[in-house]
Amino acid sequence: MFVNWKLREINLKIVYYGPALSGKTTTLERVHAKTNPNMRGDMVSLKTRGDRTIYFDFMQLELGEISGLKPRFNVYTVPGQVYYVGTRKLVLQGADGVVFVADSQKHRLDANVESARDMVKNLRTLGLDPREMPIVLQCNKRDLDSIAPVPVMRRQLGMTQFPTFKTVATEGVGVFDALKTIINRVASKAQNQI
Amino acid sequence: MNEQPSVSEQLYDQFDVILKDLYRRTDAECVLLVDISGQLISTEGQLRQGDPVQVAALAAGDVAAMAELSRQIGERDPDGSFLHEGERKSLYLFNVDDSFILIVVFRSSRPVGLIRLFVRRAAERLHPLTDQFEQIMGQPVPVPTKEFSAGLATELEKAFDL
Repeated sequence: MFVNWKLREINLKIVYYGPALSGKTTTLERVHAKTNPNMRGDMVSLKTRGDRTIYFDFMQLELGEISGLKPRFNVYTVPGQVYYVGTRKLVLQGADGVVFVADSQKHRLDANVESARDMVKNLRTLGLDPREMPIVLQCNKRDLDSIAPVPVMRRQLGMTQFPTFKTVATEGVGVFDALKTIINRVASKAQNQI
Repeated sequence: MNEQPSVSEQLYDQFDVILKDLYRRTDAECVLLVDISGQLISTEGQLRQGDPVQVAALAAGDVAAMAELSRQIGERDPDGSFLHEGERKSLYLFNVDDSFILIVVFRSSRPVGLIRLFVRRAAERLHPLTDQFEQIMGQPVPVPTKEFSAGLATELEKAFDL
């Protein structure tokens, strides 16, 4: 986070993290499509020909003035595929909050766990304390068959303490609640109680 | 609302002086100062095409990737700076102490050597400001909690058209 007092802007960074094909890009695409065009920038997506995220997706959410300051949320997704570990780390740099997008299908539990461990490790490497970082869990693909119960997912991911949302990103179900929650938590952390 | 910390204002004024000078000397289309995580700090001039916020995010990714690429080929202390020479417009990215990135967008007819020289000089002037900037980053924002939370909820409703 940093505040540009000259422009009276608070700049905050939110990152969607999670395993490959869990729905991070789809979530951001839904958010972008449903956000008031006057309050967001274009979405940048760096994808392979196969439509997989190779670098990151990015959009800026520009809210109106609140208490004399204009909040700007820079929202990113990381590439989920295992071998893009370096890219995930650099996107996570300077993050103020994370939405962890887990794939609810039972056969993806291991991939979710591996990604959650990778996130914690990367946060620590960057000098960010995972216990202090605002995080919300998005259990995605709740419309599919053979999905794991949410309490099991939370427990296996070690995320029982985080707000959790059942989502269907392809239809936009739950994704705004998850985003609003992370925004509120990030903003609360940024504020000074007076 | 509390009084703003004057240290921040002074810092931004110093950034602007350095950017203005770089902009003038390089005769650039636009000069941007970005923090290492990709957040736009300040600009001088105007991009004829493109969004400075997106340029900032992409530049931070590129600088980090270039630093890692340099490490992979055995460079000991890579700075992650690089030049893109286009047909009409070129782009020079320069990593300042792993805190800032200077971005210069300039006409390709301009001599690259001069651009590099002026960017390095600007980086030397930015160097003493990095510590001060790091201290300001991440500090809590002095705003009334209730008022801010209510305002945020209203703005989010507007943004997501709920």
